[in-house]
Amino acid sequence: MAYFQRHKGIFPLLLLLPGLLWLIVFFAVPLYYQAKISLNTGSPFEGFRFAWHWSTYTDAIRTYHTQFIRSFIYAGASTGLSLLIGYPLAYAIAFRGGRWRNALLLAVILPFFVTYLVRTLAWETILDDSSPLVSFLQTLGIVGKNGHVLATTSAVIAGITYNFLPFMILPLYAALERIDPRMLEAGADLYGNRRSVFTRVTLPLSMPGVVAGVLLTFIPAAGDFVNAALLGSPKQTMIGNVIQSRYLEVNDYPTAAALSFMLMAIILVMVAIWAKIAGTESLMGAETA
Amino acid sequence: MATEAYPAPAAATAKAARPPGVSPWRRAGRTVIHWSLPVYAGLALIYLIFPIAIIIWFSFNNTHSRFNFVWQGWTLKHWKDPFQVPGLLDALKVSIEVALLSTLIATALGTMMALALVRYEFRGRAPLNFFIFLPLATPEIVLGAALLSLFLSQSKVFQLGFGTILIAHVMFNISFVVVTVRSRLIGFDRHLEEAAQDLGANAWTTFWRVTLPLIAPGVVAAALLAFALSIDDFVITNLNSGSTVTYPLFIWGAARVSIPPEVNIVATMIFVVTVLIAILTVWQARRAEKLSEVRPEQEAIA
Amino acid sequence: MSERNIDKLIDELVAAEINRRQLLRRGAAGAMSVSAAAFLAACGGGGNALSGGTKTAAEKTIPKGEVGTQLNFSNWPLYIDVDHGKHPTLEKFTKETGVHVKYTEEINDNNEFFGKVRQQLASGSSGGRDIIVMTDWMAGKMIRLGYIQKLDKSALPNVNANLVDNLKHIDFDPNRDFTVPWQSGQTGLIVRKDKVGDVTSVNEVFNPKWKGKVTLLTEMRDSVGLTMLGMGKDPTTGSVDDMMAAVNKMNDNVKNGQIRRFTGNDYLKDLPKGDTWIAYGWSGDAVQLQADNKNIEFIHPDEGFMLWTDNMMVPVGAPHAYTAEVFMNWIYQPQVEAPIEDYVNYVPPVKGTKEALLKIDPEVAKNPLIFPDAATLAKGHAFKTLSPADEDKLNNAFQALIGA
Repeated sequence: MAYFQRHKGIFPLLLLLPGLLWLIVFFAVPLYYQAKISLNTGSPFEGFRFAWHWSTYTDAIRTYHTQFIRSFIYAGASTGLSLLIGYPLAYAIAFRGGRWRNALLLAVILPFFVTYLVRTLAWETILDDSSPLVSFLQTLGIVGKNGHVLATTSAVIAGITYNFLPFMILPLYAALERIDPRMLEAGADLYGNRRSVFTRVTLPLSMPGVVAGVLLTFIPAAGDFVNAALLGSPKQTMIGNVIQSRYLEVNDYPTAAALSFMLMAIILVMVAIWAKIAGTESLMGAETA
Repeated sequence: MATEAYPAPAAATAKAARPPGVSPWRRAGRTVIHWSLPVYAGLALIYLIFPIAIIIWFSFNNTHSRFNFVWQGWTLKHWKDPFQVPGLLDALKVSIEVALLSTLIATALGTMMALALVRYEFRGRAPLNFFIFLPLATPEIVLGAALLSLFLSQSKVFQLGFGTILIAHVMFNISFVVVTVRSRLIGFDRHLEEAAQDLGANAWTTFWRVTLPLIAPGVVAAALLAFALSIDDFVITNLNSGSTVTYPLFIWGAARVSIPPEVNIVATMIFVVTVLIAILTVWQARRAEKLSEVRPEQEAIA
Repeated sequence: MSERNIDKLIDELVAAEINRRQLLRRGAAGAMSVSAAAFLAACGGGGNALSGGTKTAAEKTIPKGEVGTQLNFSNWPLYIDVDHGKHPTLEKFTKETGVHVKYTEEINDNNEFFGKVRQQLASGSSGGRDIIVMTDWMAGKMIRLGYIQKLDKSALPNVNANLVDNLKHIDFDPNRDFTVPWQSGQTGLIVRKDKVGDVTSVNEVFNPKWKGKVTLLTEMRDSVGLTMLGMGKDPTTGSVDDMMAAVNKMNDNVKNGQIRRFTGNDYLKDLPKGDTWIAYGWSGDAVQLQADNKNIEFIHPDEGFMLWTDNMMVPVGAPHAYTAEVFMNWIYQPQVEAPIEDYVNYVPPVKGTKEALLKIDPEVAKNPLIFPDAATLAKGHAFKTLSPADEDKLNNAFQALIGA
């Protein structure tokens, strides 16, 4: 281990510095000014000035708590669905993929190369009132006779699930792929039952992937606005739509900045709780390298 | 008497005709379970690809007007002149350039950071991890608006355009790269490096010929992710692009009026290219398999 | 304090802050020290650089200069003729004057564009843009904020001669000192005749029979205006209370599911697909939609409809302001406007376009949506110009309504 100790002093710093600088200048500094703006007082037409105007935060919560809660519910539902759909697929690619592995992975991220908007618009076509899919759902009775799927909550959740599915699958795959198949054999030798091998060997070993996947899906989903805008109605507005509107349509920068920070804070709290529950420290800190 | 005393043998012989221990029900059950996974996975894949199929399908739509929403019949007319929509090709070029550059920079910076974070003990590692994680938790609209304020307040240094888009993309990609590479590094076996050192390699050789190839899958995955994120980014780019138009921005603008079939055609082309790459990797994997039959020790490392 | 001064103040505050921290941070990386130099420069010249948007720019007209070689024109999508990847009109201009036009379709929404460029405009820079096209009310707002350059009328003889009479004066720009209309349009009802039959009243959108098949517009003045007309109020003269009443009515109809959603141009997909049967929509789109589906019709409601204009303007800091004037003047010839109109299908502001179009495309020339007769025009209403306080109040209420 000599070579690691010798370079302990400045080497890590050298490795860190470029990336760190980039993040500081283009992430931390701008955020600092946004924080200041969130404490501004005034209005879009008379101008803003800095004052410790904390009531922006309380007003924002009071006015928009519905959208906040709704966003987290949608994000949670989509994440759950993503997990249900994505885990078996990741498992299949990792353990049964063989030589098709990379091809399948490419298939998974293929939707990415067809811009976000085009994907969502394709769903508009699939879910429109006269489409075969909706007619099928109508015969099944899931959708009312004059009902529609677009401009409802289901469409928005379906859209979010679809758009962030690759974010769930890739980390899951990475974690599953690293599991040594001999572990599974050992488990089978010791327990002899497929289900317990899965629940007591595979699942725990893949937990870092589950954690990463859940986070990478939930976080952007909570702040999303495109799906709600294209597939939903005003009753499905998420906090992302509100922030977007405050910034661009109404130019109410303090409220927009305040909402953004609150969203960030809530997400971080949820992440911390989730990391505790899932019990993995590999999230942020204590690497055992 | 003999038959009464030994009813069992008759039953035994009756049972012996079947293979021992596995009833056909159980075998059927096992087959179902064995195949249910691939079937489920297959359905999930279809779910992923289906909207793309729709997009490709609509590139053959025989549109009478500018609009491409209702199916009106087959035609190849759009394919004859796919880039006739002004601005589409330019926007695509810009997007690809930004994506390539930002991927390169972000992967390099991020991999270095990941190495430093995982390998070395130093003070402030935990807060640093947290700091790197923050951009992932920040809503895109915040990142975009905050950056815009910075660029505008320093307008002598930053002109809104290609440069600012690049800066923004590298910024949000770094965190993704760090997280991805780090998860690969964590399970990394240090002993391999020690072994290399024992065999006489110096630090640089060890890194170049042992470490890097072993973390390569993680780095490649991170680069792919960064590329995809950059090509697809809309919110942050929208605010920081000035009057430069990237592909997602072009689509957003076009979507307000109608997405021309040419966009579908570009999507189809991307699909075809990706399929070709996929076939290439399969072919490559088969070659690797064949090699490993000749040299088994290679497989142990991969 | 005015908005401009506040922005200026914040920018200087930002620059000053960073400056101080630079000095404190020793051994900072090269990047920071480069920026420090730039910040110092910006700070020193800060006062002058940021005053471009003040009244002085607005009072001076654009000086005559040389026609340059480049023009940067920012516009809405599909607002100029296109043929096989090229813009014939722009190419004609290049041929006649030698000026290369960089045409960017970056404007998708008045507010969104304003949000993107306002800080630049406040600091006197147009981001390289020579001409931008904004709808009436946003044009008025930008003029009020001093972001637009005053035009030199002597450089615009064609405009003075050919601008249609009903647009010669408008309340936010009484003498057309800052704006030159690009296209006008009408907002009314676009319906699927085969689904809803003959419709004559705006209030048909609130008919429970069409529940879930109705979309209104995200453009506040269009939705509020039409709804007000249906309630018997006039958007040109009505009070803010009347407007808020219209917003409340729409809100009730969102809650009970009558209104499916609020769209920009997306009703263009919903109508042919049958997701929407009756929508607030724009006349130019209706002409295009009819080509696809004969069942789609634009209706001028009995109660009235909304009239609006998109205007060309030269923002402060435009690098080729005189060339911009030359271009705007050149457009105002009927034979130039006709092919644009043939493609865009809105209402041209140039006199004589109809006659010129009769020669190229008589069907379009005879379309009443593109050349409405006087009787129809009489039922059109422009939306009142609001005071900033009222605009804020209404905007906030409307944004909450459409789900933001």
